[in-house]
Amino acid sequence: MLARPGRAEAGTDPWSAPAPSFGLRWLWQYAQDIPRPYVLDCGPIRSATLAVLLGRSGRLYRGDLISPLKRPDLWDRTRKTPVFRTEALLSELPPVASASLSIVFCWHLLDLLPREALAEVLLQIHKLMESGGVLFCLLREPRLEKGADAEWELEGLTGLTRAREGVVAFPYPALSNREIDRLLPTGSVKTFLTRSGWREVLVVK
Amino acid sequence: MSIKGELSAKEDLVIEGQFEGTIDVAEHTVTVGAQGQVKSEIRARQVVVHGSVNGKITAREKIDIRRTGNVTGDLQAAGVAIEDGAYFKGSIEILREGRAEAAAPARPAMTPRVS
Repeated sequence: MLARPGRAEAGTDPWSAPAPSFGLRWLWQYAQDIPRPYVLDCGPIRSATLAVLLGRSGRLYRGDLISPLKRPDLWDRTRKTPVFRTEALLSELPPVASASLSIVFCWHLLDLLPREALAEVLLQIHKLMESGGVLFCLLREPRLEKGADAEWELEGLTGLTRAREGVVAFPYPALSNREIDRLLPTGSVKTFLTRSGWREVLVVK
Repeated sequence: MSIKGELSAKEDLVIEGQFEGTIDVAEHTVTVGAQGQVKSEIRARQVVVHGSVNGKITAREKIDIRRTGNVTGDLQAAGVAIEDGAYFKGSIEILREGRAEAAAPARPAMTPRVS
């Protein structure tokens, strides 16, 4: 099981021990021979996540690609059809040397990105990853209709929880594994299903 | 108030205005207040940010970015805490003294279970 009820309910939750994430287990086992990996976290700041990743990272890069999606200036509305300004979003990434990152966490970023921005954002992240580097994405299954505002955090290296339950509907159709394969043709895609309507998708460069 | 230059001190420092340059108070604490706007490299024992910092921060002990803090730059310290709601873009490197890296076994084969 990946997700479990929010923290407010944790005291009454019989399953209140940190829920193991099979994707994270695999990830850290895969990365065990990297003593100090360079890690990029692309989500909103969660102090718990930060504390966990700082304990394992050689260098932790942070650039929030999720919160800016709410900003109106990310859309060029001077045209007939609004155009998403992908370069403005990518400017939120910190300066990172190409091919230097061992691990990238995207949480459910790919569920929230406009379709026209997916390829460019993924390509940019892929460029920053070293050969053998792993992109960890949390993605919804098609049956999960709400949760766009869910917030995730690490309770440990292999314990992932929702810090906030999402109630907002997802703006775009769910991404399939085949679409991710197409977007990152040089990556090897691994998927771990959960019982909660989320998938953990790992792409190894 | 707006100041440009090199700032060094032998006591704790609180910045509530605009500062551009370098700050070096290696044995003391620098606090950037909620109204503080700093474009500077900061070296201190501890750094607490409530306002805005653009530049590299090095602290021998801890860097603490509070909820209202807005930091763009690289952080280097023995400990870093960033409160939920703060803005941070950059990298963090934890200074680990005398910690030897253990030799690790080889990576497992890439055959995860798909459940």
